[in-house]
Amino acid sequence: MSVTTTATPPAPTVAPPLPDGLVAVVKRECATCVLVTPVLAQLASAPSVTLSVFTQDDPDFPDGISSMHDDDLALSWHHDIETVPTLLRVEGGREVGRIVGWSRPEWEAFTGVADLGPGLPEWRPGCGSLSVDPNLADDLRVRFTGSTLRGRRVELASLEDEWEAMFDRGWTDGLPVVPPTEARVLRMLEGTTRHPQDVVAIVPPDLVAVTVEKVAVNAVMAGCKPEYLPVVLAAVEAACNDEFNIHGVLATTMPVGPLIIVNGPIRRAIGMNSGINVLGQGNRANSTIGRALQLVIRNVGGGRPNEVDRATHGNPGKVGWCVPEDEEGSPWTPLSVARGFPAGMSTVTLFPAEGPRCVVDQLARDAGQLATSFAAALRTVHHPKLPLGFDAVLVVGPEHARVFADAGWNREQLVAELDARLQLPGSEIIRGAGGMAEGIPERLRDATLPKFRPGGLLVVHAGGGAGLFSTVIGGWANGAIGSQPVTKEITS
Amino acid sequence: MSTIIIDPTGERSVVERTLTERPVSLEGRVVGLLDISKPRGDIFLNRIEERLTGLGAKVLRFKKPTFTKPAPVDLRHEIAMQCEVVIEALAD
Amino acid sequence: MHDIADLESRGIPSAFVATVEFITAAEAQSASLGLATARVFTPHPVQDRTDAEMVEYADSVFDEIVSKVTRTP
Repeated sequence: MSVTTTATPPAPTVAPPLPDGLVAVVKRECATCVLVTPVLAQLASAPSVTLSVFTQDDPDFPDGISSMHDDDLALSWHHDIETVPTLLRVEGGREVGRIVGWSRPEWEAFTGVADLGPGLPEWRPGCGSLSVDPNLADDLRVRFTGSTLRGRRVELASLEDEWEAMFDRGWTDGLPVVPPTEARVLRMLEGTTRHPQDVVAIVPPDLVAVTVEKVAVNAVMAGCKPEYLPVVLAAVEAACNDEFNIHGVLATTMPVGPLIIVNGPIRRAIGMNSGINVLGQGNRANSTIGRALQLVIRNVGGGRPNEVDRATHGNPGKVGWCVPEDEEGSPWTPLSVARGFPAGMSTVTLFPAEGPRCVVDQLARDAGQLATSFAAALRTVHHPKLPLGFDAVLVVGPEHARVFADAGWNREQLVAELDARLQLPGSEIIRGAGGMAEGIPERLRDATLPKFRPGGLLVVHAGGGAGLFSTVIGGWANGAIGSQPVTKEITS
Repeated sequence: MSTIIIDPTGERSVVERTLTERPVSLEGRVVGLLDISKPRGDIFLNRIEERLTGLGAKVLRFKKPTFTKPAPVDLRHEIAMQCEVVIEALAD
Repeated sequence: MHDIADLESRGIPSAFVATVEFITAAEAQSASLGLATARVFTPHPVQDRTDAEMVEYADSVFDEIVSKVTRTP
């Protein structure tokens, strides 16, 4: 006897065929269906009509009329019955017309039978069909579409607490995860139009193909809502390629993890927070989207601390880190546009990030002075004497951004001004200079090297409206063996 | 009714929970003997202790207050902090 | 068996020793806990055995116990 069983997925259900003629779908728990019972009786005995009646709840309804019981709601579900009564016209097994609710003129025209329901009111609206009842929605979804899920089913043992079971199997990041039941995964998959078995990416380090479905499973675990799934899918694609090199980002002893920067209309649509505490906790979308990506890396790719992940210290953002740029308050073009994407498109930009560092400057009113403060802080990314090897993100807070806006500096000018202030004289940064062993080789003592490679400094506008602070986030090694930031479109 | 979840992994390994990795030998290891407090179990464990000491293991003895319930959390912590391997006996 | 399952989840190799009377119960408990615990079974009965007989029981299962808490390299 095995202790954890892999349950067999349910057999696929096929749409029950519709009989030709008129088909009525009703339920007793609907005043309008009860009202039209005499009309159904008239139609049943009309010579020009073949009528079939399907009842959703009570098999004896309608009284005095023979009907079939759609007890598992398969017929109603598969034929998209949203209202009862619904009257369908079927020819050759195919629906060619339908009306809903009760309206004498409409029913007479549809059926071709005159004088229907004498004594009844002219019209009466219908009620909700049981197949769209919110209380039944999850069960019906699992019953009729659960078989589209291909993931291995795991049946938890009777004494297993479902939350502890996730920890016991090593599927969490140390925090609880939402158990990914079939119903939850199906609900999550409603957040995308992509087919569940579409392969999204090949995930390092084990190089496993991950489907939309598997991403959805991990998104459920992370605590995402279905509407976040497109962002998660884009992030998985953006991370799992040679350019971003998630394998390197994972395996390094440096502290970095993937940071997801979101641009475009989706930020507002899913309620992300780009204001107060943008880099911190408290907003569900901000907190769960990055976590879903990390759970995919961990669970599908096999990338875990102490195994492939050898970070000396790591950083708290490795639980998951996803931030939206504040575009609405920004004096500049969005990061996505700066990276070559059309305005108005929703995108993710992946950056290999260490933890954030605050830059204080509460006195600079002049853009040049503020840029000099920023440059002093940026110079120390990873080490003040190491140029070119690392990229960085500069998150400019709104109060600081205003200083640059008042001086008329656009994004490109800000970056150029920072670059001009980050030309490092070789003599200051060679090994041994300043009493520090680190640095560049002695033979470069007469060179001048920029702190960042061209395009190596990404500027993002975000943060609360009060506070003369900005944030520097150092990156990982760039170049062929390192990681490049990657931007991808978010599609539904 | 038991809960069914969808496997979040790449499905490369078995779905059953696996036992923790065992050491190659007990020589030099701290082995805890947990007596569930049923009669005669102590005689049994005394002999197991002798044999383990003979293998070069260091043996610590623990006793549950009653065999009718799982060990109290404090006892589990004590055992977990001090022992590398545990043998629980003797249920009849 | 709960104690063994708990200790295993703390990373401590553990084994449970019971008499053969316990075989089915142990299997069922193990299944309910979702973990194939390491189990060794001695002869039955125990309550009326002399000390010498208990020592014999211990000797008869000692090697098996050791094998359940060690691995071959």
